[in-house]
Amino acid sequence: MENFSNEPIDINSLPRYEEVPLNALDPNYWKVIVLNICISILLIGTASGLVFLLKKETTAYIVPVIIAIVVFGAFLFVLFRMSFKRRGLAVREKDIIYSSGILSAKTTIIPFSRIQHVALNEGLFSRMYNLGALEVFTAGGATGNVKIHGLEINLANKIKELLAKRVNNGI
Amino acid sequence: MESSNYDFRTPRKQSATGIIFMFLNTLQKLIRNLAIPLFVIIFKSNIAARYYIFLALGILIILVAIFAYFKYHSFTFYLDEDDKKFVINEGVFVKTNLTIHLDKIQQVNINQSLLQRIIGFYTLQIDTAGSDKKEGTIRAMDKTSAEELKKRLLSRAENSDNTEEFRFVESVDEPIVAIPFLKLSPLTLLKIGATSNYGQTIALVIAFLAAGFQSLKDIIDIFEVDKNQVGQAFQQGVTLLSIAFMIFGVLIFLLIFNIVRTFIKYFDFEVYRQENSLVVNSGLLAKKNTFLNAYRVQISIYTQNYFQKKMNMLDMRMKQNSVTQSDKENKNSDIEIPGCSTIEKDKILTMIFNEVPKEGIKLSPNYRYVFLSLFFWIIIPSTILLFINNWRYPLVDYVPYFLTYTLFAATMIYYSYRNHRLFVSENYVIKQQGIWDIEHQIIQPHKIQAITIKQMLWHRSANIGHITCHTAAGDINFKFGNYDTIKNLMNYWLYQVESSEKDWM
Repeated sequence: MENFSNEPIDINSLPRYEEVPLNALDPNYWKVIVLNICISILLIGTASGLVFLLKKETTAYIVPVIIAIVVFGAFLFVLFRMSFKRRGLAVREKDIIYSSGILSAKTTIIPFSRIQHVALNEGLFSRMYNLGALEVFTAGGATGNVKIHGLEINLANKIKELLAKRVNNGI
Repeated sequence: MESSNYDFRTPRKQSATGIIFMFLNTLQKLIRNLAIPLFVIIFKSNIAARYYIFLALGILIILVAIFAYFKYHSFTFYLDEDDKKFVINEGVFVKTNLTIHLDKIQQVNINQSLLQRIIGFYTLQIDTAGSDKKEGTIRAMDKTSAEELKKRLLSRAENSDNTEEFRFVESVDEPIVAIPFLKLSPLTLLKIGATSNYGQTIALVIAFLAAGFQSLKDIIDIFEVDKNQVGQAFQQGVTLLSIAFMIFGVLIFLLIFNIVRTFIKYFDFEVYRQENSLVVNSGLLAKKNTFLNAYRVQISIYTQNYFQKKMNMLDMRMKQNSVTQSDKENKNSDIEIPGCSTIEKDKILTMIFNEVPKEGIKLSPNYRYVFLSLFFWIIIPSTILLFINNWRYPLVDYVPYFLTYTLFAATMIYYSYRNHRLFVSENYVIKQQGIWDIEHQIIQPHKIQAITIKQMLWHRSANIGHITCHTAAGDINFKFGNYDTIKNLMNYWLYQVESSEKDWM
């Protein structure tokens, strides 16, 4: 009998976080991810190409290495696609919900009244697509913080302002 | 607060004899850093050169004295009661101005090092809350003014805080110089030393031995002792019997070391109750005085092992907001109270929570909890052993050892599973964990900063998940719980955090 209950408040009447529809990240963020994957693969490819050029005796391994790189690239592609699809964000009246994770689905909820401050980061590629990463800090240390990549910059700013307003009102 | 002879409004310097302390302190640092290289230089140089070295040393010491003088004169502090701030100005070459707002002060400690004890001084240290890691330290104060300043700093902090801090109204009338409500006698200290904190001691001894071996190696290198000789002597000495003796010796040594360490750390240990806070005094060589505001406690922990249970003894630890601080300071802001009885534990908990926390509903993890541990501690080692055996020895020789190990590991895993429990009641979350030392961590839901729920892909069909409550003093985890239950808990705790008017600190 592990079903939790408590007399004064009916647990089932509480708002349920798991029923809140989550907003997916901006589709443009997928392009940023693809760009990043391509650059990594390109770097690995160039490095192995240099090795082949400089050390002639390694040329025998050209085909397996190319296959390995392609497989690795495809693997990264699939992995990040899954990860991208599983990330989601929702802002409720009193808290912010963020979900992510492939093998382990992880959901973190931070009440507005516990937010210390909010930061908005813009990467080089993200800026090209008008995206930003929202970082929410709590007093709970690194594990209690949340960083949400791939938000449309206006939306991110709106959320940031909303959070900042709630934080100030809350205290 | 009534007025006193101590005026902190105008900028003050430290005690005049503070110059001596600054001088000695800097000198001590200098000696500590230079002793070994200096020794080597003097040893290796000729007589003429030694003369110059001593001359240089003399000049250095004079410079240190001059520096100490200027340092003393440039260090001023004052209390601005109107603006509610405490200001410290310091620095000889680089001037620093440190302003601490009184309502941000979390803790004021008065400590005394061995050196200070000789001269009769105290260090006053101000811990502040918040992410800006400003800390004020006044190194040389006499006892009465240090205590007066501490009182002023904290009284301001309390007055500016609102409402719910005045929980212990009934105790306000009590005189400030209270009778300690917990005092550790030497016998209790002996018991504590004999039963607890083995882990810390072992870590200390290992660190100490590692340093010792390093210097032993250095000595061997310097004197070019024949390494083979030493090695041979070592090998001949190590027989099975001597190994048994050695283990026995090490255990006795650890026990004695642990007891000595306990005496040094907790000698003269006293806990006072002062209005709504706890004051803890302890220490043989360096007196430590720590101040704890009940409502600033984030996690309260009590720990007990089998021996301690037989003697009706517990160790308590109160964790304050400390995530933003570095690890070393982290330990400092924790308050440890070893060797309480069950009654004293309840008294301290009542001070913090106004009641003894109720355990409430008990949640147990799923049996899958043991799988990961089994994999790491039994399956991986046995696989490695099998591989090694394929190369060298017949397997049979190792079976008894391995069986013993497996039995030991399995017992540990079983106990770790059996003790992993979560108790939830309306006002408290209590996490129980541990194998030998069984620990209870108590938090109040309104101290939660954020909550994370996690589910592994392959646990979906089994309906299992993990939940973590992030607090300002660390995380509280409950693993392998029923997923529906922990989802309910998440909703419930969020409701409590969001509907509560109480501030987390």
